Amino acid sequence: MDEMQEIMEDFLVEAFEMIEQIDQDLVELESNPDDLDLLNKIFRVAHTIKGSGSFLNLDVLTKLTHHMEDVLNKARKGELKITADIMDVILESVDMMKALLENIRDNGTDITDDIDINPVVAKLDAISQGKNLSEVSETNNDSSNSQKEETVEVADEDELTEEDYANMSPEEIEAEIERLIQKRAEEDRARREAKKKQQAQNQEKNSNNSDEKKEPKKESKPETPAPVESKPKTAPKQEAKKSVPAKKVSTVEQTIRVDVNRLDNLMNLIGELVLSKNRLIKIYNDVEERYEGEHFLDELNQVVSSISIVTTDLQIAVMKTRMLQIGKVFNKFPRVVRDLSRELGKKVKLIIKGEETELDKSIIEEIGDPLMHMIRNSVDHGIEPPEERIKLGKPEEGIIELKAYNEGNQIVIEIADDGKGMDPEVLKQKALEKGIISEKEADMMSDKEAFMLIFKAGFSTAAKVTNVSGRGVGMDVVKTNVEKLNGIIEVDSVPGKGSVFKIKIPLTLAIIQALLVSAQEELFAVPLANVIETVRITLEDISTVEGKSVLKLRDEVLPLVNMSDIFKIEKILGINQYLYVVVLGVGASKVGLIVDGLIGQEEIVIKSLGEYLKGIKGIAGATIRGDGKVTLIVDVAALMQLAKDTHSKTIVTASVETKKKKEKPEDYVILVVDDSNTDRKIMKNAIKPLGFTIKEATNGEEALNIIKNDSNIDAALVDIEMPKMDGYTLAQEIRKYNRFKNLPLIAVTSRTTKSDRVRGVEVGMNEYITKPYTPEYLANVLKRNLKLS
Amino acid sequence: MSEQLQNIVKQQQEQTQAPSREEKDDNIIQLVGFIVGNEEFAVPILSIQEIIKPIEWTKVPFTPDFVLGVFNLRGNVLPLIDLRKKFNAPQAEFDDDVRFIVIKVGDELAGFVIDRLTEALRIDSNTILPPPDTSMERDAIIEGIARKDDRIITILKINLLLKADNE
Repeated sequence: MDEMQEIMEDFLVEAFEMIEQIDQDLVELESNPDDLDLLNKIFRVAHTIKGSGSFLNLDVLTKLTHHMEDVLNKARKGELKITADIMDVILESVDMMKALLENIRDNGTDITDDIDINPVVAKLDAISQGKNLSEVSETNNDSSNSQKEETVEVADEDELTEEDYANMSPEEIEAEIERLIQKRAEEDRARREAKKKQQAQNQEKNSNNSDEKKEPKKESKPETPAPVESKPKTAPKQEAKKSVPAKKVSTVEQTIRVDVNRLDNLMNLIGELVLSKNRLIKIYNDVEERYEGEHFLDELNQVVSSISIVTTDLQIAVMKTRMLQIGKVFNKFPRVVRDLSRELGKKVKLIIKGEETELDKSIIEEIGDPLMHMIRNSVDHGIEPPEERIKLGKPEEGIIELKAYNEGNQIVIEIADDGKGMDPEVLKQKALEKGIISEKEADMMSDKEAFMLIFKAGFSTAAKVTNVSGRGVGMDVVKTNVEKLNGIIEVDSVPGKGSVFKIKIPLTLAIIQALLVSAQEELFAVPLANVIETVRITLEDISTVEGKSVLKLRDEVLPLVNMSDIFKIEKILGINQYLYVVVLGVGASKVGLIVDGLIGQEEIVIKSLGEYLKGIKGIAGATIRGDGKVTLIVDVAALMQLAKDTHSKTIVTASVETKKKKEKPEDYVILVVDDSNTDRKIMKNAIKPLGFTIKEATNGEEALNIIKNDSNIDAALVDIEMPKMDGYTLAQEIRKYNRFKNLPLIAVTSRTTKSDRVRGVEVGMNEYITKPYTPEYLANVLKRNLKLS
Repeated sequence: MSEQLQNIVKQQQEQTQAPSREEKDDNIIQLVGFIVGNEEFAVPILSIQEIIKPIEWTKVPFTPDFVLGVFNLRGNVLPLIDLRKKFNAPQAEFDDDVRFIVIKVGDELAGFVIDRLTEALRIDSNTILPPPDTSMERDAIIEGIARKDDRIITILKINLLLKADNE
């Protein structure tokens, strides 16, 4: 029983693979009805499915494919000319075959109430018989004739044996198999001899090879009952059932099937490796600083870089195993375009380019639907009816070009049509009417932004609603889907000339390039695919439109939001002269995100936050950085949604207000750090006359805790020699926090050498005062650093 | 070979998932006790993956305040839940006794901040009292109350501890 199950699974996998190809072949066939190769290919699919189907007792499927085979066989023999009407019926039957196969996959049987094959079977019969009566005379040339005759014979014999099996007793079947094997063996022998002779004739290596290759192909084309001449040992069962030819064709490629889970697993492991690599690089950098000039560094460097190269290569290699050609998705579109254009009375030609471009499997699975919708949209709204096109002096047949190509770490899918294009003004008017945008927004909108309006929910430009598109739900769904893949959509259009849609998506989803930014003290990783650019602006560059902050960047107006506002992070940093803006793009929209710092670019591995924290708005997951800390990854699409809610003018001012006003000297808090009670007293006495509030700490560790927990400290006087944590380390630790970047740190020490001073500057001391000092001097230095006159 | 391994792993998983089955025979369950605030709590010993000293964590926006954030446990990102905040216990600085208990339910892992560990407990399941019959929200995650000497130990339902209740 298990064996049967296995065969069934193999059959389904194979059948679906063949069917994927068949749609495209059929459409192609319509334009080249005499292409014998194509016909044979299609015939073979029907034939193979019929053969395996009958073996697996799938009667309905067998019946359907049997009738399809009849029609195709006639066409193959030239007795039947494939017209558009016949093609419709064939396509219908292919659809039905698909439906049946899906049903088999889901329910294990082809018997279902939902699918009635009889009408289609009747139509197929009518086609094959109708032509039979008129017995069209042969129009094809001789060479193909001889080949065809052979196939007729063969096919007939096939049919015969096929039906016989059902009635045979096991013994008879055994005998029949025996007979077939013997026949095969004889044929093989004859063929081998023939081949030997041929080989003798052709001495050159080249021709030898090509002969060997050609031979089996030629054989398998005309669908012989037992076409496997290279492997006469194949199990008799398989020989009798003629599913073999297709299998033989596929074994020419050197492939194995692997469970996707295994690949996912492998990808996870590689992810771990990438993290470890990042960590290794970080450690190396630390070590390099400390042991500069040491000999072992060279060696370490070599190891680290070789590991990092190998890891990257390995990552790419594993990524590639998960890659599928986008042709898998593109294959269905010729059929879609054909059906649609017939339905709409338009003439459309679909040109596909770059179907060999590869994408991660998970993306391939997601990209199909949005693409389908955009293509339908292009046929429905883009391409004009033939009369109109002729009037406009365009060729009657419209062209839609579907292209895929790589661009850096991204793949670009382009859908271009030569139809009527879009008029930005019309789009704006429409959006205004529907209340999607305001008058003012419309005025400020560039053409590019206007094109993006079609992706807004509730926007549909089609004057009349067809069942194809134009329900006003489509394009915004496209946008959402593309956003889910971290992709971007770009639109360009010239009225009267056509439109170009570009979808840019990252190659893979598991390991990505990210830009690390900081919001206050916290770090976030932003997928680089969504980062369009980063700019540094000043407060004056921010303008206000309808009470909202915007940034005019070249010819665009970007809404501005502060990352700290979005994630409700408490603002502890003062305002700097410059602001950093990360321009984010998702799907069709853009936003300027104000961050407090740009850290850099890094390769990160996406990890889930787990069940407990799933579904947090604006967070796509987390990654572990080189230092072992967890950094959250921003979900840019969700972030932009959040940005809409947060978008207000209080963008930068909020943090100013939180800073307390300091007017009186008592408002200033000075931390005095020294392990010697006497020294602390001297310092206190020196600054007491100024009236400041004074706090004390006896070592670096204590001081650090006070500063961290009481952010009201305005300046610190720090001794260098202290137990637990010295002054240098203290300064270093303090400077690690963004919010203490500008905290005045004044070293007060008896270390007077130049190298001590240099060290002081290095760790971030603002001033360096050597003991002994006059009280006035200390007071003045302190006042200067607090910017008090 | 790999099948054997898988079998062993499977057996182990079954053991961890159904810890009570074996123990029922002698009615003894093994727990790990710990202090949060002024009370002693306990969770089944087999639900604990490990106990670690506090390490750095990363804040996560839009979470209740008892979710401190996430931390890195050997390459896995786990949520960190402060039981003191969750149980409204008085807040104190992290001292040397504070630990993160990493608890596993099914495939989910999470870290919980506790004030200090007490001991591994062996308790007769017959002596465990049902939770007090109040409508207090906190009591929903109580499995039962155990007594040992004169201590009262609250046994927690680990599966509810790990359920996201982000109200």
